[in-house]
Amino acid sequence: MKNVRLFYKKGGRMRFISHLDITRFMARIIKRAKLPVWFTEGFNPHPYITFALPLSLGHISEYDIMDIRLCDDDYDIEKLPETLNAICPDGIRFFKAAEPKLKTAFVAFAQFEIEFDDKGELLKPLSDFLKSESIEVSKKTKKGDIKTFDVKPKIKDFSLNENGNTVLKITLPAGSEENINPELILTAFFGSGVTNYSCYTVTRKSILDKDLNLFE
Amino acid sequence: MDEKRFEQLLLSVQKPGRYSGGEINSVIKDKNKVDVRFAFCFPDTYEIGMSHLGMKILYSLFNEREDIWCERCFAPWIDFEKVMRENGIELFGLESREPIKNFDFIGFTLQYELSFSNVVNMLDLAKVPIKAKERTALSPLVVAGGPCACNAEPLADIVDIFFLGEGEKVDLEVIDLYKSFKEKNGSKQDFLRAAAKIEGVYVPSLYDVSYNDDGTVKSVTPKANAPKAVRKRVEKNLDDTYYPEKFVVPYIEIVHDRAVQEIFRGCIRGCRFCQAGYIYRPVREKSIDTINRQAKALCENRGYDEISLSSLSTSDYRNIEPLLNELISWTEKDGISLSLPSLRIDNFSDELLEKISGVRKSGLTFAPEAGTQRLRDVINKNITEQEIISTCRTAFKGGYTAVKLYFMMGLPTETDEDIKGIADLAQKIVDEYYSLPEKPKGKAVNVSISVSNFVPKPFTPFEFWPQITREEMVRRQQYLKECIHSRKIIFNYHENRTSFLEGVFARGDRKLGEVIIKAHEKGCKFDGWDECFDLDKWLEAFKECGINPEFYANRMREYTEVFPWDHLDYAISKDFLIKQNELAKKAQTTEHCRKKCALCGANVFGEGVCFEKR
Ligand code: SF4
Repeated sequence: MKNVRLFYKKGGRMRFISHLDITRFMARIIKRAKLPVWFTEGFNPHPYITFALPLSLGHISEYDIMDIRLCDDDYDIEKLPETLNAICPDGIRFFKAAEPKLKTAFVAFAQFEIEFDDKGELLKPLSDFLKSESIEVSKKTKKGDIKTFDVKPKIKDFSLNENGNTVLKITLPAGSEENINPELILTAFFGSGVTNYSCYTVTRKSILDKDLNLFE
Repeated sequence: MDEKRFEQLLLSVQKPGRYSGGEINSVIKDKNKVDVRFAFCFPDTYEIGMSHLGMKILYSLFNEREDIWCERCFAPWIDFEKVMRENGIELFGLESREPIKNFDFIGFTLQYELSFSNVVNMLDLAKVPIKAKERTALSPLVVAGGPCACNAEPLADIVDIFFLGEGEKVDLEVIDLYKSFKEKNGSKQDFLRAAAKIEGVYVPSLYDVSYNDDGTVKSVTPKANAPKAVRKRVEKNLDDTYYPEKFVVPYIEIVHDRAVQEIFRGCIRGCRFCQAGYIYRPVREKSIDTINRQAKALCENRGYDEISLSSLSTSDYRNIEPLLNELISWTEKDGISLSLPSLRIDNFSDELLEKISGVRKSGLTFAPEAGTQRLRDVINKNITEQEIISTCRTAFKGGYTAVKLYFMMGLPTETDEDIKGIADLAQKIVDEYYSLPEKPKGKAVNVSISVSNFVPKPFTPFEFWPQITREEMVRRQQYLKECIHSRKIIFNYHENRTSFLEGVFARGDRKLGEVIIKAHEKGCKFDGWDECFDLDKWLEAFKECGINPEFYANRMREYTEVFPWDHLDYAISKDFLIKQNELAKKAQTTEHCRKKCALCGANVFGEGVCFEKR
């Protein structure tokens, strides 16, 4: 038995496919590729697949991770990305297959890049907003009530740039212990009333461990 | 609209995956390299449309041709419709995201009457004039096919061309004819006249309908050399008929997410209430080799773990056991489960049953349709109480504890005694369970009865009968409820308001076109969906058009009456229907096609069950 970590990008029309649907999709792709995968036991056996970090509907990802388990120890995993890409739509591109270095429980941060459709107008107000002492955001809890908290201390790092449009790079806690969706901050920002709403695209650039090293 | 803005808007709706396209096996072509663009429209949600076999077949068939690009289009759900209207997005093809109003064809498949308002709404969302006569240019042509085309008259003022029967050949013939007209800049009028000469093509604007004082049809007169009656098309040999090797694989969960393998068309049974049992005649089977080859190709290309055999009354396939054994020989190995949706369990070996997942999962299902033997004879449903009870007994011994029974209410000649019979039958099954010493230990039995409302349909022996009124439906449902005394019996019944509207449109005429447009203006859409259906709006629309809906649903028709669908020839003779109806009144049954030909008229195609050795 051999654990394999598959690294892929998600974008294009696949952006609109939810995490749950992606799980079903991946199971199907694996089946179609006829990989010697290990099946879970029990009443309804299915190929064993786990994801390092679910991606929100609508986000693009340049760094997504999925683990599978192969029965054949001698299987040449180098060819896996090519094999899978051949049967995947353009929106999913595998770029690496390797043995996992860390367990998925050690995912700690994610790095996002958010590009606004604002012709640079948001650069100043957003910068002011992010520099303020505290940033109140509201989040729905699992029980369904709204929890308000200060997200500022949780922002690990951020930078703002302009390339004709405003681009925000931000690093936030991610994983099963604590997970902050950048949309929380954007909703608070647009809700603060200082600017008009602008379209934006969120891209997850990487997943990091607790020391801010690339999670592999 | 620019792509970015569009995608942002998509993210504001519930299930953007319905509109995003890009699924595996969806077809992208260079629009500059095709001659004909076809929007295949399913007037319901993505999840329902994507489960539909006919659409899969025609989508692949059209796209096999280099000169045609066929795209899919579904009715946007309420949330996305709002976004579309507010932002000026016109209804688009999923593949190219370009407005379908610029396509050559906008083709609808009409699977049920309750989708008519969605047809109109989709045209409106496409910014295409709703009425055929307001679309003067050659394109877009609005065409439609599917079972409801057999009485398409309510849409006669809206649709340019109806395809009657099976579409594989006639659709392409019309597309080819269109191409020649497009090249030489021909007029729509000339094109329609030429198209009407193709078998299976019904051009409603080439027929004048006149009415009697009482509102019934007086005559239907063809113009411009259009045929007096339009005959449906059928595929003569299904082994030579196109079948796709791959289906579009949806990302989001749809109603039936599995490979579907068709095994035959038509039905030998002749249940008198069932329109599908008549309009798809004669029965034509695919050979075991063909089925096996096609099914293998589908699984190969799809990565699905379930394949479902598709047909009416599946166990009537002549060589069903050898077929299943053949399929099981490789599906089992590949971890693919096989399911059969419509099955008569009585004639199978236990061993085979074990292997078929559909049966294993869904438990025991029967469709006696009526509560007493007398009424079952009236409707020609040959299943006896004894058969049901004895199958249940065997199943109970094997550990089953749930039985599902399907019935219809409001069938011709039905009395309260027949209604009570439904409850009695369910009770007998409960009693049978408790009388068995071998019943599963410590478990209760569960008998669920689902009762739908009978809707008389064209081309059935019951096309003459009135549908019972909504008040009467409620009364009979109530009465049935009173007849049930066991808590082990669960009673589900169907809403009467939708059944009534279905009853109106099923046998409607051209006058109803105005009503559909009016109802659309009032916001009617997704009439098949409880959360959207609003009968009051429909009733207002009828009233404002001066039309009494009960005239269509609740009136007994004479044998001599001219029906709005009489000029559509489905190869089912009216004499046959009358004879069947007379037999029904006397509760006399008719044997199925394989036992004895009942001379329905479907032998004119020179193929199929009519010519099998008996
Ligand atoms: S002609 Fe006879 S055998 Fe053929 S479909 Fe009709 S009843 Fe059946």
